[in-house]
Amino acid sequence: MAQRIAALVGPGTSRPRRLPSKFNRRYWIGYLFIAPWLVSLLWFDIIPFIANLYLSLTDYSVGLKIPDWVGLQNYATLFTEDDIFFKSLYNTTYYLVFSVPFRLAAALGIALLINTKVRGRGFFRTVFYIPSVVPIVATAVIFAGIFHSRYGVLNHLLILVGLDPIRWLSNPQWIKPSIIIMSVWGFGAQMVIFLAGLQAISGELYEAADIDGASGVHKLFKITLPLITPSVFFNLIIGIIQGFQVFTQAYVMIGTNGGALQSGLFYVVYLYNNAFRYFKMGYASAMAFVLFLIILCFTVVVNYTSKHWIYYQD
Amino acid sequence: MRRRMSGLVVATSVCLAVLATNVFAADVTVKFMNWWGGERVDMMNEVITNFNKEHPEIIVENLVQPWDNREEVAATAIASSEPPSLIMVPRVETYKFAYEGLILPITDYVKASGIDPDEMFYAGEINNQRWDGELYSFPLPTAGGITGQYLYNTDLLTQAGFDQENLPKTWQDMEKVAEAVTMADKLGIDILGADVGTTGEAFVSWLYTNNGKMVSDDAKTLLFNSPEGVETLEWMVNFTNTYNGGVENVREFWEGVRDTNADWPYYTDRVAMWFTNVSAFGHLKTHDADMWNDTSKWGVALRPYNGNNPNAASHGISGLSFAWGYVIPKNQPKEVLDAAYTFLQFLGTNESGGCQFLFVQGRPSPVKTCNENSAYYEANPYWEEVMASLDSDVSIPVTPVQSQINDILNAAVDEVFFGVKTSKEALDEAAAKSQKILDEFWAK
Repeated sequence: MAQRIAALVGPGTSRPRRLPSKFNRRYWIGYLFIAPWLVSLLWFDIIPFIANLYLSLTDYSVGLKIPDWVGLQNYATLFTEDDIFFKSLYNTTYYLVFSVPFRLAAALGIALLINTKVRGRGFFRTVFYIPSVVPIVATAVIFAGIFHSRYGVLNHLLILVGLDPIRWLSNPQWIKPSIIIMSVWGFGAQMVIFLAGLQAISGELYEAADIDGASGVHKLFKITLPLITPSVFFNLIIGIIQGFQVFTQAYVMIGTNGGALQSGLFYVVYLYNNAFRYFKMGYASAMAFVLFLIILCFTVVVNYTSKHWIYYQD
Repeated sequence: MRRRMSGLVVATSVCLAVLATNVFAADVTVKFMNWWGGERVDMMNEVITNFNKEHPEIIVENLVQPWDNREEVAATAIASSEPPSLIMVPRVETYKFAYEGLILPITDYVKASGIDPDEMFYAGEINNQRWDGELYSFPLPTAGGITGQYLYNTDLLTQAGFDQENLPKTWQDMEKVAEAVTMADKLGIDILGADVGTTGEAFVSWLYTNNGKMVSDDAKTLLFNSPEGVETLEWMVNFTNTYNGGVENVREFWEGVRDTNADWPYYTDRVAMWFTNVSAFGHLKTHDADMWNDTSKWGVALRPYNGNNPNAASHGISGLSFAWGYVIPKNQPKEVLDAAYTFLQFLGTNESGGCQFLFVQGRPSPVKTCNENSAYYEANPYWEEVMASLDSDVSIPVTPVQSQINDILNAAVDEVFFGVKTSKEALDEAAAKSQKILDEFWAK
């Protein structure tokens, strides 16, 4: 310690120099650059999160007056008395279990095709990406027309191949599949992530496989898929988060009552009803916090298992 | 020098005084948030122009909103620190916001203005805007005229043996129309004789034509699971299954189209009896002018009642849904509150305000004298039938928790339509759940 001080002070110096501080000019500039993000994180994420947690412990309705404290009553009601809560959770989980894998498969499949050396590759990338930038409300309106039992193109296709038409939006068994089909259509964003992952795979690996006489299928399962797992992991997490938050499609196509036998009443739609139609904001806040915990659990589980199935090139 | 300074001080003081006077006499802006879209935007702008002739110092901004997320927009607007000056909300939300102390009662303003609202408005209409003894708005449009009538297609009705001199009046007449007119194929219904509806609100509409009631007059006891209620729901389900091929068929028929589009089934001669509210007149006039102008092709009649129940009669219901009012959020400067009420009074009571706005749409006004205008008979060829429908309306008492009760009832009706429960089981269960919510509300 004394040697360090001596080294800092230097020979023949009457007054010791200051020790270097962590918060020197370089650090301040760095914090300044990320300050906008920090401020937005605080203002749009952390503060609302804490406010939501607080409100979930109250009977807050609407307005600016201070609500009454009810403790865990909202959570108790949610888990012991509200059967619609469980129904909405079931509907959402059903949607998640099917929409996420289908969407990932579609995105990966198209990405694999686009990654080949074909003419007009850029055009195809654009075409397949466009649906993901079309506003969801517009998409929902379009699909409402596609699913129409009399005039919709889907039913006419079914009749063409000799099948009976389906009541897509009025039969309780087909409402969720309809929303799932619609969700798969917007795979563009995942496709772009997969494309980036595919292009990051070293060409040398494929060359070496060619030399060893590997077929296309071998290369796909032994090289491509293992090395694309980081992208799969990312898209899976995002897909799970988005899946649990499904709202606009159901709201536009089916309405806030969830359609026939409430089979299209998803979790966030029910949360919306509690917040803005029943004005039970405290209860809705509790639902929001429960949703956060559910998504967190799923994310932790997927993250924990990732070490067993994700491969990195390095 | 001293004189110059004194003169300067005096001149400055005078200027400041004049400026201060001008500040207090400055224009006030009323932000009017509403959902009068489509062809009604221009109509409302005309009303605002008429208002400005009398009150040039008040600027009214017509903030028309898209229908999507309406409840969220309204709730967040009223609860915000800068709410709109005046906002259009349905009755249930008026009651909720009043209960939470978010909106201004206008009782004192009305007293000061000399208006007697009970004299001016129909009782059912003005009472829909009262909560806990205070008045919060003037109604516009009518809360009535929602379910008390249907529009018919004459050509299609003749297939069932009815005509304009002999219209369907009972449930049993409706069955004849459905049997004769409804045509369906593998893709669903193509021509619809009649649709009884498959929602909770449709059930309540028919309940009152079977001498039933949804709730007691004091709004504390639910009554929809009475024997009349069970009979009504059973009739609705049997009608839908027998004549319309089931609930899915009839819901798909109405999917994807709106009465604000030219391809609405009634405008394309595919519906014999269309149960709708009085806004239909404006839409019909706009989207099928040929039909509107040929009164031999269409008409208006009262909602059919249960001919097998000697105590039943034709009734509409009012106040369960819509029953729009225009509320003033409290959190505003006094001059804005005053200006908002001034515009509200013009909109709700003036002949060049709400009266004109509804007249051009061919729909009735909640103001009695407006409906006595003989020009209405020229504007709407079925004006007498519309008045008769308004007279038949029963105002349903509601509470701020009505949305929850409506959803529970809706889910119960759905379960019966899909064969999950019997009418009695579903209604009893719904009544029990809803009564619990109602009891909790009244216990506060």
